[in-house]
Amino acid sequence: MAEMLEVSGLTKRFGGLVAVNNVSFSVREKEILSVIGPNGAGKSTLFKLISSFLRPTTGEVRLKGERISGLAPHIAARRGVVRTFQETTIFKNMSVRDNVIIAHHLRSKASLFGFFLGTGAAKADEAAFGASADEVLALLGLSSLANETARNLPHGHLRALGIAIGLATNPSILLLDEPFAGMNHDETMRMVEMVRRLRELGLTILLVEHDMPAVMKISDRLVVLNFGQKIAEGTPSEIQANDKVIEAYLGSEDEAIGL
Amino acid sequence: MTLNRTTKIAAVVAFLAVVFIAVPVAISLSGRFDLYYTLTSVALLSIASAGVWLTFYIGRINIGQGAYALTGGYVSAILVMNHGWSFWLTLPVAGLFCAAASVLIGLPILRLRGVYFAMVTLVLTEVARLLALALPITNGAKGIVSIPLPGALSVFGITLIPDFATLQNSRLAFYLLAATLMVVCFAVMYRLVNSRIGKLCQSLQQNEELASSIGVNIAYLRVIAYAVSSFFGGVSGAIFAAISQSIYPSSFTVTDSVNFMLNCFLGGLGYVFGPMLGTLVLYFGWDLLFQTGQFQLLIYSGLMIVLMLVLPNGLLSLAEMTRKKG
Amino acid sequence: MEQVIANGLYLGAQYALIALGLTLIFALMNVLNFAHGQMYVLGGFITYTVYGQLGLPFVVALLASGVTLAVIGALMEKFLFRTVIRRSHREESTMLLAAATAFFFDAVILLIFGEKQRGVPKIVKGVFNDAGIIMPYDRLVVGVLAIIFIAAFVLYMQYSRVGRAMRALAQDRVAAQLMGVRVDRYSMIGFAMGAMLAGVVGGLLVTITGVNSGIGGPISIKAFLMVMIGGAGVVGGAIAGGFILGMMESVGLTVLREYGDVTYLVIFAALMVFLSVRPNGLMGKPWG
Repeated sequence: MAEMLEVSGLTKRFGGLVAVNNVSFSVREKEILSVIGPNGAGKSTLFKLISSFLRPTTGEVRLKGERISGLAPHIAARRGVVRTFQETTIFKNMSVRDNVIIAHHLRSKASLFGFFLGTGAAKADEAAFGASADEVLALLGLSSLANETARNLPHGHLRALGIAIGLATNPSILLLDEPFAGMNHDETMRMVEMVRRLRELGLTILLVEHDMPAVMKISDRLVVLNFGQKIAEGTPSEIQANDKVIEAYLGSEDEAIGL
Repeated sequence: MTLNRTTKIAAVVAFLAVVFIAVPVAISLSGRFDLYYTLTSVALLSIASAGVWLTFYIGRINIGQGAYALTGGYVSAILVMNHGWSFWLTLPVAGLFCAAASVLIGLPILRLRGVYFAMVTLVLTEVARLLALALPITNGAKGIVSIPLPGALSVFGITLIPDFATLQNSRLAFYLLAATLMVVCFAVMYRLVNSRIGKLCQSLQQNEELASSIGVNIAYLRVIAYAVSSFFGGVSGAIFAAISQSIYPSSFTVTDSVNFMLNCFLGGLGYVFGPMLGTLVLYFGWDLLFQTGQFQLLIYSGLMIVLMLVLPNGLLSLAEMTRKKG
Repeated sequence: MEQVIANGLYLGAQYALIALGLTLIFALMNVLNFAHGQMYVLGGFITYTVYGQLGLPFVVALLASGVTLAVIGALMEKFLFRTVIRRSHREESTMLLAAATAFFFDAVILLIFGEKQRGVPKIVKGVFNDAGIIMPYDRLVVGVLAIIFIAAFVLYMQYSRVGRAMRALAQDRVAAQLMGVRVDRYSMIGFAMGAMLAGVVGGLLVTITGVNSGIGGPISIKAFLMVMIGGAGVVGGAIAGGFILGMMESVGLTVLREYGDVTYLVIFAALMVFLSVRPNGLMGKPWG
């Protein structure tokens, strides 16, 4: 399988603090790769670097061979790297359906002026996006809530909406930021199913997460960070047996690493 | 508002009828020709305020529209007086000049948020005044006076608009001009807001990061919105210069910039027609209170305070509140 | 040269006091007090009345200014801003309220005190003339008083219980609430203090430059400039902004005198460049 995303020697320094230190790994096409690590390991910084919301101090990120690190975030998004946000971020005053429709903006071919004038291209976009949005909503079980104002959604659905927004952009790789955070068992299982379905659609997924059982269940491979450095990489069973990883998580219950 | 289509069309027709037919008729019947100037001012000020509303729409507090109104006025005046241009040509040029200037200014400052942006724009108005005082081309404190009334507008030998100097009632002509432009301006705004662009701006306003992550070029969108906003300001100022046939550095001050902003707030930031209503109420309110002499400002600001306490989301929020109850 | 610096310091101290008041209100409530300049003017007029008209000692007059403005500030917060903040959808609504209060102040001041420029007799006569610096003694006194007040304010905010509560509130409203800080109460105190500072500077400067009803607006703008430079919501920023503006004015007025009003143009151009590099001022709290 080809490599979708390649992270090489990625380092990020904030003043004297090194948040991410020389991290390298790749994500293969149609793979689900999870980045895990104890609190403060640098996961969210890594995440922001990959989605180009932060500039690396050194190192680079390549998508399908082309460099995307250092590009403006909206351009990285257009190239195909799309992220969801940790604090379920949505456009709270718009309806659920509008949230997803607007996310299609990435795919639109008409220019701003075209939208204003209502040109043929713009109208075609509008129609197509509406249909696509309905599909995405169905996929994530949000169809019944399509006309609700986004901020009124219950927590679990907000997450789903966040993912729907990411999905609508038709990304090459979708970055999920702690998709299981704060979920109970049932919600977690449903999310696991959802992520699996996304992969079945042909999506490549990079996830950052704390919730171990879920991560172990769903990931093809894992990358473990600690203190900004990569300490291990491998399949779930390899990682669970890895001494360094266990040591990093020392003090947390066995349950935490899915044993 | 979820009115159906026919209601909307009916409302628009009614509005146009009032503006273009009922008002002139009422005025000529009552003989209160001074009201032309009042209503013309309201129309022009609402155009400038619409520009400010648009800046709010992308999530910025714009207290600098006065600078563009002043600039537009000067551009038009200078082109007419020093270069003999037709007023009608200077109108779009004034607007475009302001738009261009706003792009230059906007590029560094649109990144600023909240109070920082607000304060920079506030200072902008003052700077425009200082520039008008200092630059030789603007004739300093003496301003530019004796600007001729707009000439005829002819296209291919057909006179579309007669020379204002030949008109018996130029006030009516100015009123029609202002009213027409106001209608066009708000039509543009309405279309903008209800198109994809509107949604994009809302996404900007509600969550800049998320907008970025779905591919919205937030810097670009902001600059465009700001340029359109300044265009409106420039056009408004140009017409004011034509009406008063003069322009001074003090023609548009910080107070005016603040007033444009207030017009938006009062009407309601969430509503496209907010600036129109806000300008109408504030302008007429101020005018009516003239009777109270020295207490004018006191009562005016006092009422504003009371209004803020009762309707913090603007006048048009009343419409929503009554809808919820009904 | 020393003269320029001395003038700059004197101006800077006054400006810093004004900026502190503004930034305090902003830090606590995210409200930009448009009426700040008018509060300054009111403070000046009160001192004019108590010291200039009634002949009471200057200190009493200054106290009167401070206390009156503090009370006004407290009332404004409690009855006006608190309501609007609670009920409005958008944070910027407080701006309309602030602008309205500024107009209201202007109106009241005009009605009560009239249009004329007012001044008071000097509080200290004589001029300091040494080491190339010419500074009237009253300016010196006012400058020193201003610096004392600044220091007192900073110490108060740093070490007193009230000060600490206000700082907690400024940093994180929710966290402060969880810690038991009574948000309403301290917002009110903060607003009162901010207003008081403006009033006190007004009282101080009326002895030097006098006061008239029209300067409220321009002073507000200057205060905004300072806060932009130094950064909003941070004490250090306000002080820095105040001194920087004071210095720039002093330099500008001397050096650029022949070019007239260009001083502020230059300041503004410099500010635009500066803000492109540091959008939140020198040390400001980012908005939102």
